[in-house]
Amino acid sequence: MPAGRAAGAEGDERRAITVTPTIPRSDIDLWSEEVIQAPYAAYRELRDLGPAVWLERYQVYAVTRYDDVYEALHDHDAFASGAGVALNERLNQKMKGSALVSDPPYHDHVRGVMGGPLTPKALRAHREDFQRLADDLIDRLLERGDFDAVVDFAQLFPLSVVPDLLGWPTEGRENFLAWASAGFNALGPMNERAEADIPVLAGMWAFMAEIVQPGRLRAGSWGDDLVAAAQAGTVSKQLLPALIGDYLVPSLDTTVSSLTSAMLLLGRHPEQWRAVREDPALIPNALNEVIRLETPIRALARTVTRDRELSGTVLPAGSRALIVYASANRDERHWDEPETFDVTRANANTHVGFGHGIHGCVGQGLARLEGHALLTALAEKVETIDVGQPEYRVHNTIRAITTLPATLKAST
Amino acid sequence: MKVFVDRARCEGHGLCEDAAPALFGLDDDGELVVRFSETVPAGQEDPADAAVRVCPVGALRRSGES
Repeated sequence: MPAGRAAGAEGDERRAITVTPTIPRSDIDLWSEEVIQAPYAAYRELRDLGPAVWLERYQVYAVTRYDDVYEALHDHDAFASGAGVALNERLNQKMKGSALVSDPPYHDHVRGVMGGPLTPKALRAHREDFQRLADDLIDRLLERGDFDAVVDFAQLFPLSVVPDLLGWPTEGRENFLAWASAGFNALGPMNERAEADIPVLAGMWAFMAEIVQPGRLRAGSWGDDLVAAAQAGTVSKQLLPALIGDYLVPSLDTTVSSLTSAMLLLGRHPEQWRAVREDPALIPNALNEVIRLETPIRALARTVTRDRELSGTVLPAGSRALIVYASANRDERHWDEPETFDVTRANANTHVGFGHGIHGCVGQGLARLEGHALLTALAEKVETIDVGQPEYRVHNTIRAITTLPATLKAST
Repeated sequence: MKVFVDRARCEGHGLCEDAAPALFGLDDDGELVVRFSETVPAGQEDPADAAVRVCPVGALRRSGES
């Protein structure tokens, strides 16, 4: 680490002294149980320490302010993804060659292949289906009275659309949530949480290797198209399991997180819910505001490929940077009243909750389509949302709620 | 001010249209329509800059920047 050396003694100017500003250090443990359950005070402390803070426990620079996070994400050469975005080598090696863990020009190629069916244009074909499924789900929840917003709402919806779009057979679906959760746990440091999920991931990888055999995934599905691309030599056959995993793993826990947070925040802020109901055109902004305030993926890593300055602090080549999206999304240097949930916030769409730049979430169009369909159904049918106390899950990467009791009252 | 549109990266999320409706739009098929050619018309610099910044997938950039 660059040791900070102040200017020499008075009258000593002739001596060549390099003044390197010291990068602040912190022993904050971003993966301790307390911080995971309530991370925002720790993020603020890190933001106030400087543009980059050396996390002693993890040997990584935390980048936590909005402008620096944005700049790092848009300089994908200096903050590279090809050597991994996890905080452990095991996952970084395993994921190499996926769109997430690659750099241009290869990245652009593989993202182009994967991203085709995920563009808003391509997803238009599913809009009516999604709306009908969302309407049915909200009708059922209204009839039911009390329900768990995690299992019966936030998990149920993506599970009812994603496996079919991927072309998955019936078997293996019961493992999807566990696989998705394990995939994200393993993106953190190799702590006991990540270790515990390695066998789960091994099971997923074995299943993936089998499912990419031609004919296993439904003809014409996203997964089958990818298999066909491998047959045609457009993408590597060896990479198929990782690429299918790239579709599956990020499509669940993240969406589940934001849908649960939407229910929680709209339930806790009846005046905001009223505003959405009175003007459903606010729905896209409301979803952005949910993702800003309770960012589903808290942080991912990059490798610094050359000495790179961020707001006057130089991160040395070869070091690792932790890009803390969930902190940038509450940075008081960028946001007015960052802790306030405001569905009319004018710049809510500048959040970095989907990441930003060339590695920006490839599934964000799908996530928005799901969120908009559900919020549209809720706004049409539901007058009040009552929520109980959420229980947060101790997870390495995702801002995850385990259970949230909820009750909906129909509009009259 | 010049703005470069990377068609290969554009996925049609449409945030540029919200930021600069005089410069960008999505047609009925969801394809990006660029309403200027390279040089941003006078008076549209601020919206153009906002559109470049808000593009979620890095498909817009001020020319001369990589």
